[in-house]
Amino acid sequence: MHSDEEGDDEAESDGDVEEFPEIDVGSDSDGDSEFNSDNVEGDLDEEEVDEEEESDSDAESLHVFPRAKTVTSDITGQPKRVYPEIEPDYDSDSSTEEAPNRVGNVPMHWYDDLPHIGYDMDGKRVLRPARGDELDKFLATVEDPSAWTSAFDKNAQTDKPLSAEELDIIKRLYDHENPDGNYDPYEPTVEWFTSQVEVMPLSAAPEPKRRWIPSKWEKKKVMKILRAIRAGRIVPNKPKTSSKRTQLYDIWKSDASTTLAPALPAPKPKLPTNAESYNPPEEYLPTDQERKEWEDKDAEDRERDYLPQKYSSLRLVPGYDRFIKERFSRQLDLYLAPRIQRAKLNIDPKSLIPKLPSPNSLRPFPTYKSLTFSHPSSYARCLSVHPSGTWVVSGDDNGIVSLWEINVGREVKRWKFSGKIGAVEWCPRTDVCYFVVGIEETLHFVIPPNLPAAVYELTYKLLAPATLPPAPETPSPIKWTTASSSKWTIDTPLLSIQLSSGSGLPRQIAWHRKGDYLSTVSSGAQGGVWIHQITRRHSQAPFKKIRGDIQLVRFHPTKPHFFVATQQYVRIYNLAEQTLLKTLMPGIKWISSMDIHASGDHVIVGGYDRKLCWFDLDLSSKPYKVLRYHSRAIRSLQFHPTYPLFASSSDDGTIQIFHSRVFSDLMTDPLIVPLKILRGHENKEGLGVLQVKWCPNQPWLVSGGADGAVNVWCS
Amino acid sequence: MGRLRQKGKAGAAKAYVTRSAAIKKLQCSLADFRRLCILKGIFPREPHSRKKANKGNSAPTSFYYAKDIAFLAHEPILKKLREHKAFAKKLSKALGRGEWSDAKNLEENKPVYTLDHLVKERYPSFIDAVRDIDDALCMIFLFSTLPSNDRIPPTLIENCARLAAEWQLYIMRTKALRKCFLSIKGVYYQAEVCDQTVTWLIPYQFTQSIPADVDVRVMLTFLELYQTLLGFVNFKLYTDAGLVYPPPLDMKKLEGGAGVGAFSIQEVAKPGNGVQKVKAVEIDGRKVSTKDVRQTIQDISANPTEPTDVDMVTSEAVVEADDDEFVPIASKTSDAQPTDLPTLKSIQALPASLSTTLFASCVFFLSRETSRPVFEFLVRSFGGRIGWEATVGEGSPLTVDDPSITHVIIDRPVLEHTSETAEERERRLSRKYVQPQWVVDSINAGKILLEDTYGPGKTLPPHLSPFGEAYEGAYDPLATDEAMAAESDVDEEADEEMGDAVKDDAELRAAELAAEVAGVDPAAFEKKVKKASKQKSTAPAPADEEDDMNKMMMSRRQKKLYDKVKHSQGKRSDERAKLEEKKREITKKKRKDTKA
Repeated sequence: MHSDEEGDDEAESDGDVEEFPEIDVGSDSDGDSEFNSDNVEGDLDEEEVDEEEESDSDAESLHVFPRAKTVTSDITGQPKRVYPEIEPDYDSDSSTEEAPNRVGNVPMHWYDDLPHIGYDMDGKRVLRPARGDELDKFLATVEDPSAWTSAFDKNAQTDKPLSAEELDIIKRLYDHENPDGNYDPYEPTVEWFTSQVEVMPLSAAPEPKRRWIPSKWEKKKVMKILRAIRAGRIVPNKPKTSSKRTQLYDIWKSDASTTLAPALPAPKPKLPTNAESYNPPEEYLPTDQERKEWEDKDAEDRERDYLPQKYSSLRLVPGYDRFIKERFSRQLDLYLAPRIQRAKLNIDPKSLIPKLPSPNSLRPFPTYKSLTFSHPSSYARCLSVHPSGTWVVSGDDNGIVSLWEINVGREVKRWKFSGKIGAVEWCPRTDVCYFVVGIEETLHFVIPPNLPAAVYELTYKLLAPATLPPAPETPSPIKWTTASSSKWTIDTPLLSIQLSSGSGLPRQIAWHRKGDYLSTVSSGAQGGVWIHQITRRHSQAPFKKIRGDIQLVRFHPTKPHFFVATQQYVRIYNLAEQTLLKTLMPGIKWISSMDIHASGDHVIVGGYDRKLCWFDLDLSSKPYKVLRYHSRAIRSLQFHPTYPLFASSSDDGTIQIFHSRVFSDLMTDPLIVPLKILRGHENKEGLGVLQVKWCPNQPWLVSGGADGAVNVWCS
Repeated sequence: MGRLRQKGKAGAAKAYVTRSAAIKKLQCSLADFRRLCILKGIFPREPHSRKKANKGNSAPTSFYYAKDIAFLAHEPILKKLREHKAFAKKLSKALGRGEWSDAKNLEENKPVYTLDHLVKERYPSFIDAVRDIDDALCMIFLFSTLPSNDRIPPTLIENCARLAAEWQLYIMRTKALRKCFLSIKGVYYQAEVCDQTVTWLIPYQFTQSIPADVDVRVMLTFLELYQTLLGFVNFKLYTDAGLVYPPPLDMKKLEGGAGVGAFSIQEVAKPGNGVQKVKAVEIDGRKVSTKDVRQTIQDISANPTEPTDVDMVTSEAVVEADDDEFVPIASKTSDAQPTDLPTLKSIQALPASLSTTLFASCVFFLSRETSRPVFEFLVRSFGGRIGWEATVGEGSPLTVDDPSITHVIIDRPVLEHTSETAEERERRLSRKYVQPQWVVDSINAGKILLEDTYGPGKTLPPHLSPFGEAYEGAYDPLATDEAMAAESDVDEEADEEMGDAVKDDAELRAAELAAEVAGVDPAAFEKKVKKASKQKSTAPAPADEEDDMNKMMMSRRQKKLYDKVKHSQGKRSDERAKLEEKKREITKKKRKDTKA
């Protein structure tokens, strides 16, 4: 109550202070002094009466800062804080406090090795207080309860307990508060400039002229715009967007000066044809099947994007529902499709066919079938033409070998062997006359009947000499046996060669041109290549080991070279030097046949994969020409020994005759001209024409087929 | 040692840019890129090796030339598109905040681009523009008849209609139309403008609806360009022909549905001959010259209402027209250079379709079920006059009872003349009634055809394409008609003279004489001849066999090419054979029906 009253009194005086702070200085100081004197008393009263909380009382008692007092102002009615007046006596100054060491603020390490720590007010040394050792220090921290609130005083060189005020400051700093305990962050604001309009102005300065005189410069700017509007340079409210219709003018008046390359013009859409008419001829209308086909197809796959329709009159034609869609797809083509300039293929296909000499100018070549000799119910697997060109022997799978005459086809003699006939071959010598028949693991040497006496004598002597040549040093698995002269008749072979057991059927018999050596290729697992010499009655295997499955062998017509065809390669060996000369790579999966040109420089190789390769041995190991014209596997090939012809036979039942001219100069390529396709053999169980052989001195061909027929083709 | 070559720094990898890379480079959206490509005429390219062009990546993408993209990057329109993007953002922001005046202001100052420079750039010369105008015409004619909706504003349709009408007006004026074809898709027109053949297609007059799978944005972008292009082309055509562009438009007539007739052609008034320009009589937008007047007088005097021989009359008319045009010129300049002048002979040697004044002697009247825009355009392009009923549209120069009408185009079943006055009967008899196809067929034939076959209610002869077939040696219905007739004759006359047709006549005659001399019975001789001819036909040509064999000497590449060519030829001949077979069956059936 008492404090309230006092507050009221002060408030009156304070109210003046608020209103006119600058003017009334005197009254202010009066009020203040008055208030301060009262303040201390009130302070004490409050402490005694109101405040019971310890913290508060502590704070007040420990105050370093002058304590503020909150009083309610009389004028504003708001509580306000009032600080006590500082009395300018000695007590008010901290410098009057008793402190013995008066060295000032100097580094204390100057006194480190001295007994004193400074001087007192009288100039006497202040002695260093006794400092205990570490143990004492520790004990002090344990024993003295105020040890943790004491700090080292540099000036006194001793620990001094912190006062309550100092501890309070530390605590506040720790709490991130204002170190001043009395600071109130939420002080009510004082409105210096209020919404109340005062009667008297704050300043007596006269109002400037610019407030009430129109601006000259503004006027100038406005006039400028105005003039522009009047002159039509500025059109007010004109939308910047120009009118919808673009201004048209002669855009092509000036010459084209673009350096750009002219773009590819878009291809024009196709012009409509008769089918698109509303009234097309009736034949254009789709049948039901065509209509269904068209509807089933995807839109992209259709050849036409519409179905032809016929309307009897124009008024019945409906609107075309895909019109916009078609326009749109045209536009997609225009901007999304890559445009390529394609040379239009306008070639007469006939011009692509190579120009070759006419077959008529390349006669003679076999053109028709002159006679047929048949091996009933069997394959005519092998045949051979006598070097004189008058006799043919042919063998079939029933083991029958027939000797017949080429001109009329009369059978002269028939031999019967056990098992299939693998190969038949005449001896190329003309002074002797016999042929070799290859059956399972055996070769038989047979003399035909009705020979002239001289020839017969010579042949007999050759095959069954009176004195046998000396046996080779190394025992061979091949046995040569001659039929004894008493037992031998014309129906049985005179000489037989027993091949090694397990060698199987001899696939091929190849004679050397001189007729002394012959080579056999057997198909069995233990087979392989053997070279037999007739005069010495001796057999030898030229290869100890060879890579691949040997299909065929050939002797070179002039040189001591030996051609060996494995499944995929043809290797050429020099028999005299026993070296590998060359490997030909025809690129055929499985070689079926091979023949060498009479000149010895060209080789043709045929395969089961229908390919025929022509090799020029002087050129490369790759084929000069690859032909693929048969529709089934090639079975047999042969060059004509004298005419420029070769023939190939295939499982498709046809025989193809080619003209093959070889030039002696190295610059000209061999000329190959297809001449004739001979048809006449029937396919049987997927097999066609199994072997073709030329008649040595005529342009005639003899062919044996799977249908059991042996045909003679004449020119 | 040269510099190390880095991958992707030269060659295809540098020359080509994928679409996504191009968009990234141009910093625009895909839609904007498409718009730019359409406007600038830039299209993807197919690199030789896609893998090389895409730096080893074989993912399916489309490629552009890097130079094309660099070319796009400098395009002012690209800048405008970016500005428009900013504008759209500002506008949406203003609208979202409800700042209406700001929005209005923005809308008024919207950035707009013009395509003038693009037209000039894409079509450096006028001829280029005319050559490429086909697509533009198709689109503009299509849009001129579309109903408007929220995507297609009415102003756009109006502009398209105006451009289309201006084009048609020009074609009619210059008589540039050459061919016309009524197809199931619409009407094809072909005109010759500046020596360029221009073909366009107009759909029949039905309301088209835009399907859902069609991107209207793309179509509108194309249309934007096409409108500008056709505008400039029309301007150039009109000014070159000495006509006022734009042609004055009669709004009242337009509202009355006059179509093309609402525009009138006006010649540019030359300052020099203002005095001479006196007697330009205009009848409903069509200028009537003295020549026309004279021709109509001639027509009336020739009395075309009772033609005994139609072909004669028309040819006369054409010749007379030619006389009118060419003979006075020849006489005027005969002293100078008579050799250069076109003579009657040379004119006659020209293709028949060049007679541009085909209908000069005819006056048509359209029955109300026929399409007025089509036939008005056709008839007026070939110098004829045409009228229609007022219900079809305003601006008809003739009424039904006009005595000058010679032809009535009618497309309804046969009329019953039950209750008609004498006057009507007279009128009916004095006119020819034809179906619409007659007009088009006459134009394509280049002469006025016999009207009788095209009379109302009659089965029309087939309407054939004047553009011919797509390739040579295709099935020709007219040729096969004749062949069929010949074949049927042969059939009827039995096998008597089979040999005759095949063998050379002279040779045969000689042989016959020889046989007579030798005393061979003529019947036996004929039999022999027949046999011989049959053998001849059955034996295959030896040359073919030779070729077959020579084929095996072709290299693999040649063989492939050969097979390809043969395949396409086979396909064509199959098609042809199929049509011929069908035709044969149809004729057989018909013959059977007629016999029965």
